[in-house]
Amino acid sequence: MKTKKSSLSAAFFITGLILLGIVVLAFLISIVHTPYDPNLTDVTAKLQAPSSAHLFGTDNFGRDVFSRVLSASKYTIFISFAGVFIAAFLGILTGLPAGYFGGFKDRAIMLFNNSIMCFPGILLALVAVAVFGASMFNVVWALGLVFAPTFARVIRTGTLEIKERDYITQAKVMGASPVRIMTSHILPNLMPQLLPATVIGLANMTLFESGMSYLGLGVQPPDASFGKMLADAQAYMTGAPWLIIFPALMLILYILGLYFISEGLRITLSGGDN
Amino acid sequence: MTETTGRNMRYLAIKLLELLATLLLVSFLTFAAFSIIPGDAAGIMLGPNASPEQIARLRTELGLDKPVIVQYINWLGGAFTGNLGTSVAYKLPVISLIAERLPVTIGMSVIATVMVIVISYPLAILSARKPGRIGDQVCSFLGHVLFAVPPFVLSLLLIIFTAKFLNIFTVGRYAPPSKDPGMFIGSLILPSFAIALPKIAMTFKFMRSAIIEQNNSEYVKTAKSHGLGNIKILMTHVLPNSNVSSITILSLVLSDILGGSLIVEQVFNLPGLGRLLLSAIARRDFPLLSGMVFYLALITVVLYFAADILAGLADPRIRLK
Repeated sequence: MKTKKSSLSAAFFITGLILLGIVVLAFLISIVHTPYDPNLTDVTAKLQAPSSAHLFGTDNFGRDVFSRVLSASKYTIFISFAGVFIAAFLGILTGLPAGYFGGFKDRAIMLFNNSIMCFPGILLALVAVAVFGASMFNVVWALGLVFAPTFARVIRTGTLEIKERDYITQAKVMGASPVRIMTSHILPNLMPQLLPATVIGLANMTLFESGMSYLGLGVQPPDASFGKMLADAQAYMTGAPWLIIFPALMLILYILGLYFISEGLRITLSGGDN
Repeated sequence: MTETTGRNMRYLAIKLLELLATLLLVSFLTFAAFSIIPGDAAGIMLGPNASPEQIARLRTELGLDKPVIVQYINWLGGAFTGNLGTSVAYKLPVISLIAERLPVTIGMSVIATVMVIVISYPLAILSARKPGRIGDQVCSFLGHVLFAVPPFVLSLLLIIFTAKFLNIFTVGRYAPPSKDPGMFIGSLILPSFAIALPKIAMTFKFMRSAIIEQNNSEYVKTAKSHGLGNIKILMTHVLPNSNVSSITILSLVLSDILGGSLIVEQVFNLPGLGRLLLSAIARRDFPLLSGMVFYLALITVVLYFAADILAGLADPRIRLK
Protein backbone atom coordinates (compact mmCIF):
# COMPACT_ATOMS: atom_id res chain seq x y z
CA MET A 1 0.00 0.00 0.00
CA LYS A 2 2.84 2.32 0.98
CA THR A 3 4.72 1.69 -2.27
CA LYS A 4 1.56 2.18 -4.32
CA LYS A 5 1.08 5.56 -2.72
CA SER A 6 4.65 6.70 -3.25
CA SER A 7 4.68 5.49 -6.85
CA LEU A 8 1.44 7.38 -7.53
CA SER A 9 2.86 10.57 -6.08
CA ALA A 10 6.09 10.06 -8.03
CA ALA A 11 4.08 9.62 -11.25
CA PHE A 12 2.21 12.87 -10.63
CA PHE A 13 5.40 14.64 -9.68
CA ILE A 14 7.44 13.53 -12.68
CA THR A 15 4.61 14.15 -15.20
CA GLY A 16 4.14 17.58 -13.68
CA LEU A 17 7.81 18.39 -13.92
CA ILE A 18 7.93 17.32 -17.57
CA LEU A 19 4.90 19.47 -18.50
CA LEU A 20 6.25 22.43 -16.57
CA GLY A 21 9.69 21.81 -18.04
CA ILE A 22 8.37 22.37 -21.56
CA VAL A 23 7.17 25.87 -20.65
CA VAL A 24 10.29 26.67 -18.63
CA LEU A 25 12.40 25.55 -21.59
CA ALA A 26 10.44 27.90 -23.86
CA PHE A 27 11.10 30.66 -21.35
CA LEU A 28 14.84 29.92 -21.26
CA ILE A 29 15.08 29.79 -25.05
CA SER A 30 13.20 33.10 -25.34
CA ILE A 31 15.92 34.81 -23.26
CA VAL A 32 18.69 33.59 -25.54
CA HIS A 33 17.07 33.62 -28.94
CA THR A 34 13.74 33.74 -30.77
CA PRO A 35 13.59 32.91 -34.50
CA TYR A 36 11.91 36.25 -35.21
CA ASP A 37 11.35 39.41 -33.21
CA PRO A 38 8.09 38.44 -31.40
CA ASN A 39 6.60 41.90 -31.99
CA LEU A 40 7.79 42.35 -35.58
CA THR A 41 4.86 42.69 -37.96
CA ASP A 42 5.06 41.60 -41.60
CA VAL A 43 1.86 42.15 -43.57
CA THR A 44 3.19 40.15 -46.52
CA ALA A 45 3.29 37.02 -44.33
CA LYS A 46 0.03 37.25 -42.41
CA LEU A 47 -2.10 34.27 -41.33
CA GLN A 48 0.28 31.66 -42.71
CA ALA A 49 -0.25 28.06 -41.66
CA PRO A 50 2.58 26.33 -39.76
CA SER A 51 5.56 25.66 -42.03
CA SER A 52 9.33 25.22 -41.74
CA ALA A 53 9.79 29.00 -41.89
CA HIS A 54 7.12 29.61 -39.23
CA LEU A 55 6.83 26.53 -37.00
CA PHE A 56 3.53 27.64 -35.40
CA GLY A 57 2.39 29.81 -38.34
CA THR A 58 1.84 33.57 -38.30
CA ASP A 59 -0.93 35.79 -36.92
CA ASN A 60 -3.06 38.48 -38.55
CA PHE A 61 -0.17 40.96 -38.36
CA GLY A 62 2.30 38.48 -39.83
CA ARG A 63 4.01 37.99 -36.49
CA ASP A 64 5.71 34.64 -35.89
CA VAL A 65 3.50 32.68 -33.47
CA PHE A 66 6.37 30.42 -32.35
CA SER A 67 8.47 33.43 -31.28
CA ARG A 68 5.47 34.97 -29.57
CA VAL A 69 4.67 31.77 -27.69
CA LEU A 70 8.28 31.61 -26.47
CA SER A 71 8.13 35.22 -25.39
CA ALA A 72 4.71 34.88 -23.74
CA SER A 73 5.92 32.02 -21.52
CA LYS A 74 8.40 34.50 -20.08
CA TYR A 75 5.62 36.85 -18.88
CA THR A 76 3.42 34.00 -17.62
CA ILE A 77 6.26 32.59 -15.53
CA PHE A 78 7.41 35.98 -14.28
CA ILE A 79 3.94 37.21 -13.26
CA SER A 80 2.96 34.00 -11.50
CA PHE A 81 6.22 33.76 -9.53
CA ALA A 82 6.36 37.45 -8.59
CA GLY A 83 2.66 37.43 -7.63
CA VAL A 84 3.02 34.30 -5.50
CA PHE A 85 6.07 35.82 -3.82
CA ILE A 86 4.06 38.89 -2.81
CA ALA A 87 1.05 36.80 -1.75
CA ALA A 88 3.21 34.46 0.35
CA PHE A 89 5.06 37.39 1.91
CA LEU A 90 1.82 39.16 2.89
CA GLY A 91 0.27 35.88 3.98
CA ILE A 92 3.18 35.16 6.31
CA LEU A 93 3.17 38.74 7.59
CA THR A 94 -0.50 38.44 8.66
CA GLY A 95 -1.09 34.71 9.17
CA LEU A 96 1.93 34.02 11.37
CA PRO A 97 1.15 36.61 14.10
CA ALA A 98 -2.57 35.79 13.89
CA GLY A 99 -1.91 32.14 14.62
CA TYR A 100 0.85 32.75 17.14
CA PHE A 101 -0.73 35.45 19.30
CA GLY A 102 -4.36 34.32 18.92
CA GLY A 103 -7.08 36.26 20.74
CA PHE A 104 -8.08 39.68 19.56
CA LYS A 105 -5.22 40.09 17.06
CA ASP A 106 -6.18 36.79 15.48
CA ARG A 107 -9.87 37.72 15.25
CA ALA A 108 -9.14 41.15 13.79
CA ILE A 109 -6.70 39.86 11.18
CA MET A 110 -8.91 36.96 10.15
CA LEU A 111 -12.06 39.09 9.94
CA PHE A 112 -10.20 41.42 7.59
CA ASN A 113 -8.89 38.42 5.66
CA ASN A 114 -12.29 36.78 5.32
CA SER A 115 -13.82 40.06 4.18
CA ILE A 116 -11.30 40.31 1.36
CA MET A 117 -12.12 36.73 0.41
CA CYS A 118 -15.77 37.73 0.00
CA PHE A 119 -14.91 39.69 -3.12
CA PRO A 120 -14.76 37.46 -6.18
CA GLY A 121 -10.98 37.34 -6.73
CA ILE A 122 -11.03 38.12 -10.41
CA LEU A 123 -13.22 41.15 -9.75
CA LEU A 124 -10.79 42.51 -7.15
CA ALA A 125 -7.82 42.04 -9.46
CA LEU A 126 -9.62 43.67 -12.39
CA VAL A 127 -10.72 46.66 -10.35
CA ALA A 128 -7.23 47.17 -8.87
CA VAL A 129 -5.78 47.20 -12.36
CA ALA A 130 -8.59 49.45 -13.58
CA VAL A 131 -7.96 52.02 -10.85
CA PHE A 132 -4.17 52.04 -11.03
CA GLY A 133 -3.81 51.42 -14.75
CA ALA A 134 -3.18 48.30 -16.80
CA SER A 135 0.46 47.29 -16.67
CA MET A 136 2.35 44.13 -15.90
CA PHE A 137 3.54 45.38 -12.50
CA ASN A 138 0.04 46.38 -11.44
CA VAL A 139 -1.17 42.91 -12.41
CA VAL A 140 1.58 41.37 -10.25
CA TRP A 141 0.76 43.24 -7.08
CA ALA A 142 -3.01 43.06 -7.65
CA LEU A 143 -2.77 39.26 -7.90
CA GLY A 144 -0.42 39.22 -4.91
CA LEU A 145 -3.02 41.08 -2.84
CA VAL A 146 -5.91 38.93 -4.03
CA PHE A 147 -4.12 35.70 -3.13
CA ALA A 148 -2.61 36.88 0.17
CA PRO A 149 -5.64 35.85 2.33
CA THR A 150 -5.41 32.26 1.04
CA PHE A 151 -1.79 32.10 2.16
CA ALA A 152 -2.62 33.79 5.46
CA ARG A 153 -5.17 31.06 6.17
CA VAL A 154 -2.77 28.25 5.42
CA ILE A 155 0.00 29.86 7.50
CA ARG A 156 -2.34 30.55 10.42
CA THR A 157 -3.68 27.00 10.56
CA GLY A 158 -0.14 25.62 10.45
CA THR A 159 1.06 28.04 13.12
CA LEU A 160 -1.80 27.09 15.47
CA GLU A 161 -0.60 23.50 15.37
CA ILE A 162 3.16 24.11 15.57
CA LYS A 163 3.05 26.62 18.43
CA GLU A 164 1.84 23.88 20.79
CA ARG A 165 4.95 21.78 20.22
CA ASP A 166 7.49 21.26 22.99
CA TYR A 167 10.43 22.95 21.33
CA ILE A 168 8.44 26.18 21.03
CA THR A 169 7.72 26.09 24.77
CA GLN A 170 11.41 25.46 25.36
CA ALA A 171 12.39 28.39 23.17
CA LYS A 172 9.96 30.55 25.14
CA VAL A 173 11.44 29.38 28.43
CA MET A 174 14.91 30.24 27.16
CA GLY A 175 13.69 33.77 26.57
CA ALA A 176 13.39 33.86 22.76
CA SER A 177 11.35 36.83 21.55
CA PRO A 178 8.04 36.20 19.71
CA VAL A 179 9.59 37.50 16.49
CA ARG A 180 12.49 35.10 16.81
CA ILE A 181 10.22 32.15 17.61
CA MET A 182 8.01 32.94 14.64
CA THR A 183 10.79 33.49 12.11
CA SER A 184 13.32 30.86 13.10
CA HIS A 185 11.25 28.17 14.79
CA ILE A 186 7.77 28.21 13.28
CA LEU A 187 8.26 29.50 9.74
CA PRO A 188 10.83 26.87 8.64
CA ASN A 189 8.49 24.15 9.89
CA LEU A 190 5.58 25.49 7.85
CA MET A 191 7.16 24.27 4.60
CA PRO A 192 4.87 21.21 4.31
CA GLN A 193 1.89 23.61 4.19
CA LEU A 194 3.57 26.45 2.34
CA LEU A 195 5.02 24.41 -0.51
CA PRO A 196 1.77 22.95 -1.94
CA ALA A 197 0.03 26.29 -1.38
CA THR A 198 2.75 27.98 -3.42
CA VAL A 199 2.49 25.54 -6.30
CA ILE A 200 -1.33 25.77 -6.39
CA GLY A 201 -1.00 29.54 -6.07
CA LEU A 202 1.21 29.64 -9.18
CA ALA A 203 -1.42 27.70 -11.12
CA ASN A 204 -4.39 29.73 -9.91
CA MET A 205 -2.57 32.98 -10.48
CA THR A 206 -1.88 31.95 -14.07
CA LEU A 207 -5.59 31.18 -14.53
CA PHE A 208 -6.35 34.73 -13.36
CA GLU A 209 -3.55 36.43 -15.28
CA SER A 210 -4.47 34.75 -18.55
CA GLY A 211 -8.11 35.79 -18.08
CA MET A 212 -7.09 39.38 -17.34
CA SER A 213 -4.76 39.47 -20.34
CA TYR A 214 -7.58 38.05 -22.46
CA LEU A 215 -9.74 41.01 -21.41
CA GLY A 216 -6.88 43.37 -22.29
CA LEU A 217 -6.19 44.25 -18.65
CA GLY A 218 -3.05 42.17 -18.18
CA VAL A 219 0.16 42.20 -20.15
CA GLN A 220 -0.10 45.15 -22.52
CA PRO A 221 0.32 44.91 -26.29
CA PRO A 222 2.47 44.65 -28.32
CA ASP A 223 4.06 42.29 -25.77
CA ALA A 224 2.81 38.74 -26.16
CA SER A 225 0.85 36.91 -23.47
CA PHE A 226 -1.14 33.73 -23.89
CA GLY A 227 -4.37 35.45 -22.89
CA LYS A 228 -4.00 38.36 -25.30
CA MET A 229 -2.86 36.08 -28.13
CA LEU A 230 -6.03 34.04 -27.67
CA ALA A 231 -8.18 37.18 -27.60
CA ASP A 232 -6.61 38.44 -30.84
CA ALA A 233 -6.96 35.02 -32.43
CA GLN A 234 -10.69 34.75 -31.75
CA ALA A 235 -11.71 36.59 -34.91
CA TYR A 236 -9.67 34.19 -37.08
CA MET A 237 -10.11 30.99 -35.17
CA THR A 238 -12.10 28.93 -37.65
CA GLY A 239 -9.72 29.74 -40.53
CA ALA A 240 -6.50 29.79 -38.54
CA PRO A 241 -6.87 27.35 -35.62
CA TRP A 242 -3.08 27.36 -35.01
CA LEU A 243 -3.50 30.81 -33.53
CA ILE A 244 -5.61 29.24 -30.78
CA ILE A 245 -4.04 25.80 -30.43
CA PHE A 246 -0.43 26.69 -29.62
CA PRO A 247 -0.94 29.45 -27.03
CA ALA A 248 -3.77 27.46 -25.43
CA LEU A 249 -1.63 24.33 -25.31
CA MET A 250 1.29 26.10 -23.62
CA LEU A 251 -1.01 27.76 -21.11
CA ILE A 252 -2.66 24.45 -20.24
CA LEU A 253 0.71 22.64 -20.01
CA TYR A 254 1.94 25.19 -17.50
CA ILE A 255 -1.14 25.06 -15.27
CA LEU A 256 -1.54 21.27 -15.58
CA GLY A 257 2.15 20.75 -14.77
CA LEU A 258 1.76 22.81 -11.61
CA TYR A 259 -1.42 20.93 -10.58
CA PHE A 260 0.27 17.57 -11.07
CA ILE A 261 3.28 18.66 -9.00
CA SER A 262 0.99 19.90 -6.23
CA GLU A 263 -1.00 16.64 -6.34
CA GLY A 264 2.24 14.68 -6.02
CA LEU A 265 3.32 16.88 -3.11
CA ARG A 266 -0.06 16.53 -1.45
CA ILE A 267 -0.07 12.74 -1.62
CA THR A 268 3.51 12.58 -0.30
CA LEU A 269 3.01 15.09 2.51
CA SER A 270 -0.43 13.95 3.69
CA GLY A 271 0.36 10.30 3.21
CA GLY A 272 -3.23 9.77 2.15
CA ASP A 273 -4.98 8.91 -1.08
CA ASN A 274 -8.28 10.26 -2.48
CA MET B 1 -36.42 20.97 23.44
CA THR B 2 -36.39 24.57 24.66
CA GLU B 3 -32.69 24.31 25.35
CA THR B 4 -32.00 23.17 21.79
CA THR B 5 -34.19 25.94 20.43
CA GLY B 6 -32.29 28.44 22.56
CA ARG B 7 -29.00 27.16 21.26
CA ASN B 8 -30.26 27.29 17.70
CA MET B 9 -31.40 30.87 18.17
CA ARG B 10 -28.02 31.73 19.67
CA TYR B 11 -26.23 30.15 16.73
CA LEU B 12 -28.40 32.10 14.31
CA ALA B 13 -27.87 35.35 16.24
CA ILE B 14 -24.08 34.92 16.23
CA LYS B 15 -24.12 34.14 12.53
CA LEU B 16 -26.29 37.20 11.83
CA LEU B 17 -23.92 39.43 13.78
CA GLU B 18 -21.01 37.97 11.83
CA LEU B 19 -22.88 38.65 8.60
CA LEU B 20 -23.48 42.27 9.57
CA ALA B 21 -19.86 42.80 10.63
CA THR B 22 -18.60 41.29 7.39
CA LEU B 23 -21.00 43.36 5.30
CA LEU B 24 -19.90 46.52 7.07
CA LEU B 25 -16.24 45.68 6.53
CA VAL B 26 -16.86 44.73 2.90
CA SER B 27 -18.65 48.02 2.30
CA PHE B 28 -15.84 49.91 4.01
CA LEU B 29 -13.19 48.13 1.94
CA THR B 30 -15.08 48.85 -1.27
CA PHE B 31 -15.45 52.50 -0.36
CA ALA B 32 -11.82 52.80 0.79
CA ALA B 33 -10.51 51.20 -2.40
CA PHE B 34 -12.09 53.98 -4.44
CA SER B 35 -11.07 56.70 -1.99
CA ILE B 36 -7.35 55.99 -2.00
CA ILE B 37 -7.12 56.48 -5.75
CA PRO B 38 -4.00 58.54 -6.32
CA GLY B 39 -4.94 62.04 -7.43
CA ASP B 40 -8.36 63.52 -7.95
CA ALA B 41 -11.06 60.95 -8.78
CA ALA B 42 -13.17 63.49 -10.68
CA GLY B 43 -10.15 64.55 -12.71
CA ILE B 44 -9.28 60.95 -13.55
CA MET B 45 -12.87 60.20 -14.62
CA LEU B 46 -13.15 63.19 -16.90
CA GLY B 47 -9.71 62.75 -18.47
CA PRO B 48 -6.98 65.26 -19.26
CA ASN B 49 -9.12 67.53 -21.45
CA ALA B 50 -11.65 68.49 -18.79
CA SER B 51 -11.88 72.09 -17.66
CA PRO B 52 -11.49 72.98 -13.95
CA GLU B 53 -15.22 73.98 -13.88
CA GLN B 54 -16.29 70.57 -15.20
CA ILE B 55 -14.13 68.83 -12.60
CA ALA B 56 -15.52 71.04 -9.82
CA ARG B 57 -19.09 70.30 -10.97
CA LEU B 58 -18.49 66.53 -10.97
CA ARG B 59 -16.87 66.76 -7.55
CA THR B 60 -19.99 68.41 -6.15
CA GLU B 61 -22.22 65.96 -8.01
CA LEU B 62 -20.40 62.97 -6.50
CA GLY B 63 -20.15 64.61 -3.09
CA LEU B 64 -16.36 64.51 -3.19
CA ASP B 65 -16.18 67.98 -1.64
CA LYS B 66 -17.63 66.65 1.63
CA PRO B 67 -15.53 65.05 4.42
CA VAL B 68 -14.61 61.41 3.75
CA ILE B 69 -16.64 60.07 6.68
CA VAL B 70 -19.79 61.84 5.42
CA GLN B 71 -19.14 60.45 1.96
CA TYR B 72 -18.88 56.94 3.40
CA ILE B 73 -22.07 57.21 5.43
CA ASN B 74 -23.97 58.57 2.45
CA TRP B 75 -22.61 55.82 0.24
CA LEU B 76 -23.38 53.11 2.81
CA GLY B 77 -26.92 54.38 3.29
CA GLY B 78 -27.38 54.35 -0.48
CA ALA B 79 -25.88 50.89 -0.87
CA PHE B 80 -28.37 49.29 1.50
CA THR B 81 -31.37 51.14 0.10
CA GLY B 82 -30.50 50.32 -3.49
CA ASN B 83 -29.41 53.83 -4.38
CA LEU B 84 -25.79 53.75 -5.49
CA GLY B 85 -25.80 57.01 -7.33
CA THR B 86 -25.59 57.72 -11.02
CA SER B 87 -23.15 56.28 -13.50
CA VAL B 88 -20.86 58.99 -14.83
CA ALA B 89 -20.60 57.41 -18.28
CA TYR B 90 -24.20 56.24 -18.80
CA LYS B 91 -25.95 59.04 -16.87
CA LEU B 92 -28.30 56.37 -15.49
CA PRO B 93 -28.81 55.04 -11.96
CA VAL B 94 -26.19 52.41 -11.17
CA ILE B 95 -28.83 50.07 -9.79
CA SER B 96 -30.88 50.00 -13.00
CA LEU B 97 -27.76 49.40 -15.11
CA ILE B 98 -26.93 46.41 -12.93
CA ALA B 99 -30.52 45.13 -12.96
CA GLU B 100 -30.59 45.31 -16.75
CA ARG B 101 -27.50 43.06 -17.08
CA LEU B 102 -28.38 40.69 -14.27
CA PRO B 103 -30.46 38.13 -16.25
CA VAL B 104 -27.45 36.97 -18.29
CA THR B 105 -25.15 36.61 -15.29
CA ILE B 106 -27.77 34.97 -13.08
CA GLY B 107 -28.97 32.78 -15.94
CA MET B 108 -25.46 31.53 -16.65
CA SER B 109 -24.77 30.94 -12.96
CA VAL B 110 -27.97 28.95 -12.48
CA ILE B 111 -27.50 26.81 -15.60
CA ALA B 112 -23.82 26.18 -14.76
CA THR B 113 -24.69 25.18 -11.17
CA VAL B 114 -27.39 22.77 -12.39
CA MET B 115 -24.83 21.25 -14.78
CA VAL B 116 -22.30 20.86 -11.98
CA ILE B 117 -24.80 19.05 -9.77
CA VAL B 118 -26.34 16.88 -12.47
CA ILE B 119 -22.99 15.73 -13.88
CA SER B 120 -20.60 15.61 -10.94
CA TYR B 121 -22.78 13.86 -8.35
CA PRO B 122 -23.65 10.72 -10.31
CA LEU B 123 -20.02 10.44 -11.47
CA ALA B 124 -18.75 10.86 -7.91
CA ILE B 125 -21.17 8.22 -6.60
CA LEU B 126 -20.25 5.77 -9.35
CA SER B 127 -16.51 6.40 -8.97
CA ALA B 128 -16.65 6.05 -5.21
CA ARG B 129 -18.31 2.62 -5.45
CA LYS B 130 -15.09 0.97 -6.60
CA PRO B 131 -12.18 3.39 -6.17
CA GLY B 132 -9.17 2.57 -8.29
CA ARG B 133 -11.20 0.88 -11.05
CA ILE B 134 -10.52 1.98 -14.61
CA GLY B 135 -13.68 4.12 -14.82
CA ASP B 136 -12.76 5.90 -11.61
CA GLN B 137 -9.21 6.53 -12.85
CA VAL B 138 -10.40 7.88 -16.20
CA CYS B 139 -12.79 10.27 -14.41
CA SER B 140 -10.10 11.39 -11.98
CA PHE B 141 -7.58 11.97 -14.77
CA LEU B 142 -10.09 13.92 -16.89
CA GLY B 143 -10.92 15.91 -13.79
CA HIS B 144 -7.30 16.95 -13.34
CA VAL B 145 -7.00 18.01 -16.97
CA LEU B 146 -10.27 19.97 -17.01
CA PHE B 147 -9.24 21.74 -13.86
CA ALA B 148 -6.18 23.14 -15.62
CA VAL B 149 -8.00 24.72 -18.56
CA PRO B 150 -9.00 28.36 -18.02
CA PRO B 151 -12.76 28.72 -18.67
CA PHE B 152 -12.20 31.27 -21.41
CA VAL B 153 -9.89 28.85 -23.24
CA LEU B 154 -12.53 26.11 -22.83
CA SER B 155 -15.03 28.52 -24.33
CA LEU B 156 -12.84 29.09 -27.38
CA LEU B 157 -12.31 25.35 -27.83
CA LEU B 158 -16.07 24.71 -27.45
CA ILE B 159 -16.83 27.40 -30.04
CA ILE B 160 -14.39 25.87 -32.53
CA PHE B 161 -15.76 22.41 -31.85
CA THR B 162 -19.43 23.30 -32.24
CA ALA B 163 -18.77 25.43 -35.32
CA LYS B 164 -16.58 22.82 -37.07
CA PHE B 165 -18.36 19.61 -36.19
CA LEU B 166 -21.91 20.54 -35.32
CA ASN B 167 -22.18 23.55 -37.60
CA ILE B 168 -23.70 25.63 -34.83
CA PHE B 169 -22.52 29.19 -34.48
CA THR B 170 -23.32 30.35 -31.01
CA VAL B 171 -21.38 33.57 -30.74
CA GLY B 172 -23.44 36.71 -31.04
CA ARG B 173 -26.78 34.89 -30.93
CA TYR B 174 -28.65 36.42 -28.06
CA ALA B 175 -32.18 37.54 -27.28
CA PRO B 176 -33.40 39.14 -24.06
CA PRO B 177 -35.45 36.76 -21.88
CA SER B 178 -38.59 38.87 -22.29
CA LYS B 179 -38.48 38.63 -26.09
CA ASP B 180 -37.46 35.06 -26.76
CA PRO B 181 -36.94 32.94 -23.63
CA GLY B 182 -35.95 29.87 -25.65
CA MET B 183 -33.21 31.67 -27.49
CA PHE B 184 -32.11 33.38 -24.28
CA ILE B 185 -31.54 30.05 -22.55
CA GLY B 186 -30.09 28.53 -25.72
CA SER B 187 -27.50 31.28 -25.96
CA LEU B 188 -26.41 30.65 -22.37
CA ILE B 189 -25.95 26.87 -22.63
CA LEU B 190 -22.46 26.76 -24.16
CA PRO B 191 -20.95 29.53 -22.01
CA SER B 192 -22.47 27.95 -18.90
CA PHE B 193 -20.95 24.62 -19.88
CA ALA B 194 -17.53 26.26 -20.25
CA ILE B 195 -17.75 27.71 -16.74
CA ALA B 196 -19.21 24.52 -15.32
CA LEU B 197 -16.63 22.02 -16.65
CA PRO B 198 -13.72 22.88 -14.29
CA LYS B 199 -16.18 23.16 -11.40
CA ILE B 200 -17.62 19.74 -12.29
CA ALA B 201 -14.07 18.42 -11.97
CA MET B 202 -13.64 20.16 -8.63
CA THR B 203 -16.98 18.98 -7.21
CA PHE B 204 -16.41 15.46 -8.51
CA LYS B 205 -13.06 15.20 -6.75
CA PHE B 206 -14.39 16.63 -3.49
CA MET B 207 -17.59 14.58 -3.37
CA ARG B 208 -15.81 11.39 -4.42
CA SER B 209 -13.50 11.74 -1.39
CA ALA B 210 -16.42 12.57 0.89
CA ILE B 211 -18.40 9.52 -0.22
CA ILE B 212 -15.39 7.19 -0.02
CA GLU B 213 -14.81 8.41 3.53
CA GLN B 214 -18.44 7.65 4.43
CA ASN B 215 -18.27 4.25 2.72
CA ASN B 216 -15.30 3.28 4.88
CA SER B 217 -16.98 4.30 8.12
CA GLU B 218 -18.16 1.82 10.71
CA TYR B 219 -21.88 2.54 10.42
CA VAL B 220 -21.89 1.77 6.71
CA LYS B 221 -20.12 -1.51 7.38
CA THR B 222 -22.71 -2.26 10.07
CA ALA B 223 -25.54 -1.41 7.68
CA LYS B 224 -23.98 -3.73 5.10
CA SER B 225 -23.70 -6.54 7.63
CA HIS B 226 -27.38 -6.08 8.38
CA GLY B 227 -28.00 -6.84 4.72
CA LEU B 228 -29.07 -3.42 3.52
CA GLY B 229 -28.80 -2.86 -0.23
CA ASN B 230 -26.20 -0.53 -1.68
CA ILE B 231 -28.78 1.94 -2.97
CA LYS B 232 -30.61 2.01 0.34
CA ILE B 233 -27.33 2.65 2.20
CA LEU B 234 -26.43 5.37 -0.26
CA MET B 235 -29.77 7.14 -0.01
CA THR B 236 -30.37 6.86 3.73
CA HIS B 237 -26.84 6.95 5.16
CA VAL B 238 -24.06 8.07 2.86
CA LEU B 239 -25.68 10.99 1.04
CA PRO B 240 -27.35 12.61 4.07
CA ASN B 241 -24.05 12.38 5.93
CA SER B 242 -22.27 14.06 3.02
CA ASN B 243 -24.60 17.06 3.19
CA VAL B 244 -22.07 19.31 4.91
CA SER B 245 -19.45 18.47 2.29
CA SER B 246 -22.03 19.24 -0.41
CA ILE B 247 -22.92 22.59 1.09
CA THR B 248 -19.29 23.60 1.51
CA ILE B 249 -18.24 22.72 -2.02
CA LEU B 250 -21.36 24.14 -3.66
CA SER B 251 -21.01 27.52 -1.96
CA LEU B 252 -17.40 27.71 -3.17
CA VAL B 253 -18.40 26.58 -6.66
CA LEU B 254 -21.22 29.13 -6.86
CA SER B 255 -19.01 32.08 -6.01
CA ASP B 256 -16.37 30.85 -8.47
CA ILE B 257 -19.02 30.48 -11.15
CA LEU B 258 -20.15 34.05 -10.57
CA GLY B 259 -16.59 35.34 -11.00
CA GLY B 260 -15.94 33.05 -13.95
CA SER B 261 -19.04 34.27 -15.79
CA LEU B 262 -17.56 37.79 -15.88
CA ILE B 263 -14.85 36.64 -18.29
CA VAL B 264 -16.64 33.90 -20.18
CA GLU B 265 -19.56 36.09 -21.22
CA GLN B 266 -16.99 38.30 -22.99
CA VAL B 267 -15.93 35.33 -25.15
CA PHE B 268 -19.53 34.79 -26.23
CA ASN B 269 -20.24 38.50 -26.49
CA LEU B 270 -23.15 38.36 -24.06
CA PRO B 271 -24.53 41.52 -22.42
CA GLY B 272 -24.07 40.59 -18.76
CA LEU B 273 -22.33 42.12 -15.78
CA GLY B 274 -18.90 41.33 -17.25
CA ARG B 275 -19.45 43.65 -20.18
CA LEU B 276 -20.77 46.36 -17.89
CA LEU B 277 -17.72 45.92 -15.68
CA LEU B 278 -15.33 46.25 -18.61
CA SER B 279 -17.02 49.35 -19.90
CA ALA B 280 -17.01 50.84 -16.40
CA ILE B 281 -13.29 50.09 -16.20
CA ALA B 282 -12.57 51.51 -19.64
CA ARG B 283 -14.50 54.71 -18.91
CA ARG B 284 -13.23 54.94 -15.32
CA ASP B 285 -16.82 55.13 -14.12
CA PHE B 286 -16.09 54.87 -10.38
CA PRO B 287 -19.70 55.10 -9.04
CA LEU B 288 -20.67 52.22 -11.34
CA LEU B 289 -17.55 50.23 -10.49
CA SER B 290 -17.91 50.57 -6.73
CA GLY B 291 -21.59 49.66 -6.97
CA MET B 292 -20.86 46.52 -8.96
CA VAL B 293 -18.01 45.49 -6.66
CA PHE B 294 -20.18 45.95 -3.59
CA TYR B 295 -23.19 44.06 -4.94
CA LEU B 296 -21.13 41.16 -6.25
CA ALA B 297 -19.38 40.90 -2.87
CA LEU B 298 -22.78 41.15 -1.18
CA ILE B 299 -24.05 38.15 -3.16
CA THR B 300 -20.96 36.17 -2.12
CA VAL B 301 -21.28 37.13 1.54
CA VAL B 302 -24.95 36.14 1.65
CA LEU B 303 -24.11 32.90 -0.16
CA TYR B 304 -21.47 31.93 2.42
CA PHE B 305 -23.87 32.95 5.19
CA ALA B 306 -26.60 30.73 3.78
CA ALA B 307 -24.08 27.89 3.46
CA ASP B 308 -23.08 28.31 7.11
CA ILE B 309 -26.70 28.20 8.25
CA LEU B 310 -27.49 25.18 6.09
CA ALA B 311 -24.38 23.38 7.37
CA GLY B 312 -25.56 24.12 10.91
CA LEU B 313 -28.98 22.68 10.10
CA ALA B 314 -27.48 19.58 8.48
CA ASP B 315 -25.02 18.89 11.27
CA PRO B 316 -25.98 19.87 14.84
CA ARG B 317 -22.31 19.53 15.91
CA ILE B 318 -21.51 22.67 13.92
CA ARG B 319 -24.16 24.85 15.55
CA LEU B 320 -23.59 23.54 19.06
CA LYS B 321 -19.86 24.19 19.00
